[in-house]
Amino acid sequence: MSAPTAVLQLDHITRHRAGRPAVTDLSLRLDAGQVLGLLGVNGAGKSTTLAMIAGALIPDSGAIRLNGQDFLEQPELARRAIGWLPERAPLWPELTVSEHLDAHGRLRGLTGAGLAQARSKIIERLELGTLSRRLASVLSQGQRQRLGLACALLHEPDLLVLDEPANALDPVQVAALRTVIREQAAAGTAIILSTHLLAEVTAACDRVAILHEGRLRYDGAIDGGDHKALEQTFFDIAMRGNGSDDRMQAA
Amino acid sequence: MSVLAVTRLELRRLVVRPLAWVLAALSVAQLAGRFMLLLQIFIANQIRLAAQPGGPGYTDLVGVPMLSSILTSGILPMLPFGLAELALVVVPLLTMSSLAGERSQGTLPLWFAAGLPAWRIVLGKYLALMLWLTLWLAITLAMPLSLAHGITLDWGKLASATLGLWLMLAALAAIGIACSSFASHPAIAATTSLMLGLALVSVNVGAMMAGVNNGFFNWLSMNAHLDSMIRGLVSSADVVWFLLVVAVALALAAQRLAAERERG
Repeated sequence: MSAPTAVLQLDHITRHRAGRPAVTDLSLRLDAGQVLGLLGVNGAGKSTTLAMIAGALIPDSGAIRLNGQDFLEQPELARRAIGWLPERAPLWPELTVSEHLDAHGRLRGLTGAGLAQARSKIIERLELGTLSRRLASVLSQGQRQRLGLACALLHEPDLLVLDEPANALDPVQVAALRTVIREQAAAGTAIILSTHLLAEVTAACDRVAILHEGRLRYDGAIDGGDHKALEQTFFDIAMRGNGSDDRMQAA
Repeated sequence: MSVLAVTRLELRRLVVRPLAWVLAALSVAQLAGRFMLLLQIFIANQIRLAAQPGGPGYTDLVGVPMLSSILTSGILPMLPFGLAELALVVVPLLTMSSLAGERSQGTLPLWFAAGLPAWRIVLGKYLALMLWLTLWLAITLAMPLSLAHGITLDWGKLASATLGLWLMLAALAAIGIACSSFASHPAIAATTSLMLGLALVSVNVGAMMAGVNNGFFNWLSMNAHLDSMIRGLVSSADVVWFLLVVAVALALAAQRLAAERERG
């Protein structure tokens, strides 16, 4: 019996930025319902990796497959299949919360009653009702993140890409974010999130990949809450850069 | 569909931005002032003009001069600007944020991540701007047309001048979007677009003043192509010139955007 098709498959992707390698020879697989935490220090290549997965950047080499289809050959696949929350949730300051949701919905192919239904659902789910007529320019950082997450979830994507989603959130908002992540994963959405916080990974993810200087140094399941071992691995890689291949596990 | 989604979003952003309303209010007020002055001059000279066989009428002295100062610059130099002159300043201010603004506020990757090819993003934004500019042209035309029921209009001449102005607005908007696609900041885009617009309008005059009387500079000049249409003569060569400028500018903008997605 053959293995189910991965929602996301990265095959040896490499990308340079500002003349230096930002991501080198990265391969990853992510199945439906999995939550993968991409861990690394600042500048490790996490945001570049996520931007490539989201379709905002094109790799120099390698292949990205989405539900088995070549995403680089068919970038329009991103339209319905991917939801992306970039770092610091970029928003159009002159639009309201509700207008943002409408705009993102239309760009992702939702129209008419389908769009209205999706908007109402996500507003209720992420408790954006009181903010729906407020301009994005007056939202707090936490509210901006929530709106960014709502835009990413609106069209019910197969793959959710979250870049530092817990940034600037208070503890209550972080807990709510983890609940949303777990609910989405339970519904079958594959989720990849980047962070430099170990606690975030252990609380929300069932698998972790550690990037260092653009290379994948570790990829393994988070087993039974053994945070100490993961912490030790992370510091070994980050401080000494010795994330040896022999420690890499199959996911 | 996705082009329309971009147009709709861009139009919405244009409508809620104070700059578009301030520019519209100031320019329409100025054009209304010009209309009143032109009308006053026309009424004061009506009897004398009526006596001249084939002399200029309402269309020559009020209708077309609302759109451009080309016909009145020699005889009425002190009047406020026509639409063509205002467009050289207004269009760069309107287009400056279309892509440079997105770049500076970090929203440009959102367009790429929606799986839209660069040309659809550029075309969608361009169509939104053209809708706004067409409305601006229509409001300007509404002033001389408000008296059409009691005056004999030369509809052909007015239509020719309107087409010329619309093509000029289309060319300036495309140049503005191209500048916005290359600039890191909206102010740089506006300045570059203004300078390019002025250069295109006056390149033949500048060449003549420098002692160069070259057919190429005449061909390059926007005024040379606009002038004949303002005078009521539509030639396909002039229309093609404007369409060429639009196509080249939009292609450059799309190319720049696609390269940005590749280079990051």
